[in-house]
Amino acid sequence: MVSMIRRRLTGLAVVLFGVTLLSFLLASISPVDPAEAYALRVTQQPTPEQIAAIRVELGLHLPLHQQYFRWVGNLLQGDLGISYLTKKPVLSDIAEKLPVTLQLVGLALVWVALVTVPIGILTALKPGTLFDQAVRWATILGISLPSFWLGFLLLLLFTLILPVFQVVNAGTLGSLILPSLTLAVPAASAFIRLFRATLLSNLNKDYVVYARARGIRQSRIVWVHVVKNSLPPLITLFCQYVGLLVTGSAVVESLFSLPGIGMHLVNASMARDLPTVNGCVLVIALIFVLTRTAAELINARLNPKLTDKEERLYG
Amino acid sequence: MSELLQVESLCIGLKQTGKPIVKQVSFALRKGAALAVVGESGSGKTLTCKAILRLLHDRTFTVSGSIRYRGQELLAASERDMRALRGNRIAMIVQHPMMAFDPTATIGTQITETIMAHRRISKRDAYSSGVRALERMNLPRCEQLMNSYPSELSGGMLQRIVIALAIIHEPDVIIADEPTTALDVRNQSMVLQELKQLKQSGIGLLLVTHDFGVAAGLADEMLVMREGEVIERGTVHDVFAAPREAYTKELLEARILMRKEDRHDRDEGCIQTV
Repeated sequence: MVSMIRRRLTGLAVVLFGVTLLSFLLASISPVDPAEAYALRVTQQPTPEQIAAIRVELGLHLPLHQQYFRWVGNLLQGDLGISYLTKKPVLSDIAEKLPVTLQLVGLALVWVALVTVPIGILTALKPGTLFDQAVRWATILGISLPSFWLGFLLLLLFTLILPVFQVVNAGTLGSLILPSLTLAVPAASAFIRLFRATLLSNLNKDYVVYARARGIRQSRIVWVHVVKNSLPPLITLFCQYVGLLVTGSAVVESLFSLPGIGMHLVNASMARDLPTVNGCVLVIALIFVLTRTAAELINARLNPKLTDKEERLYG
Repeated sequence: MSELLQVESLCIGLKQTGKPIVKQVSFALRKGAALAVVGESGSGKTLTCKAILRLLHDRTFTVSGSIRYRGQELLAASERDMRALRGNRIAMIVQHPMMAFDPTATIGTQITETIMAHRRISKRDAYSSGVRALERMNLPRCEQLMNSYPSELSGGMLQRIVIALAIIHEPDVIIADEPTTALDVRNQSMVLQELKQLKQSGIGLLLVTHDFGVAAGLADEMLVMREGEVIERGTVHDVFAAPREAYTKELLEARILMRKEDRHDRDEGCIQTV
């Protein structure tokens, strides 16, 4: 377990290095000049001299590798630079926006977990029944619905037809219900299908037949053995979804006017706000790597066989 | 009536297509006797075993005929009554001990839950009687075994645990489905020895195998099955001395041939390793 954590932490450093390098390179090959974009926001018609001055001021005149190392050097001191757009430190911007998105994603994942476990078990225990069929169609629909459209439908329903709670009021839990549901529907659909399939394959395993042959109660077989064996793929996907939903939250955030990190990143990209883009990419990569590691640790705890194999593979 | 288990005209079919898989199988098992069901794979032996304990999904299979345990009709019994019999009065030894246990639970957990399925005792008492059951099977370091996971143990060890679990509630009938197939030669003879002792202690043993040697070593009577039908039956001695059916002869000859090849292979293997 300890060696696994150590291995993951080394992997984390490598991944973060690659991600920051890539986001730097990709930003530099973009056709729009960040200095020009910056100048355009400050003055109506900037002269080439003004743009050149801004380029020097922002450090964009330096060769790319020098820019990168300067950025990494500052990063190691906890400084992600100043946003071109908001003129505030990138880190404090992120610290302000990220909690909104994390709350949104967290609530969405609560819905997902609440729905997936019971529905997955019910459909897997009685496959082919009317309920199972209905769930299958509903999940196909749920996976295929575009989230902006679903969000609009929910907005329409709860603002005009059924105004039971305040939809737009940032900061309260109520304001997060609709956006989190919009995020949760497609995710839950994917999760239910995965969980049902894993449960079914586990229910057909030899150990289930043998447990029944020993007279062990069906409820115990399902809850203690089958569910536990079916969790690892679900946990892996669940942790991946934390990162996916954080990045994918931009659409929902703009739809429900939530000041989250998804919108922040989109705005920064449009404005060529390079420090913000690089900072956001770094934070999101960090979320991906951390949740992935968490998934592996949980799975190793659940199934000792998984650690065994890893240990053997990596020595 | 001395019959522990009486199976009459057992038919198993596929629900969807109605295709029959096991046809009109009848046999009886007495106390202290061993009956071998012999046949090649796909002859319906394992399905017959599972049908006795009603382990076949009624979504997939239709089962008809009669299976009586001490006069009680099992095909008409409630699921609750069946659960009370399974592992308690009729126990099972499985073909693949490596796949028989939940890989995410310790052996100890799976032994204690088996004990607690049929006895009202505390977890701690169940645990210690589990340790004793393992000790009876001459397994080493039983306390440590209880804390290990199935993937950490060898097939032979797991099969001994399976046998320990089969006798833990002192059943009347043990159904052993290919108990030695997945094991190496040394563990095979160990398991056969155990089964012989069980038979002598008065348990009715239903032995399913494709191996005439195993059948000859343990059973008194045998059935030969082919494509779901019983094509020959009699005492082991009679069937071996004078097989009436051409198929039985074929199987017996195939075994003798296999033995020769086996020996040949082993010789070659020795040469190669040298």
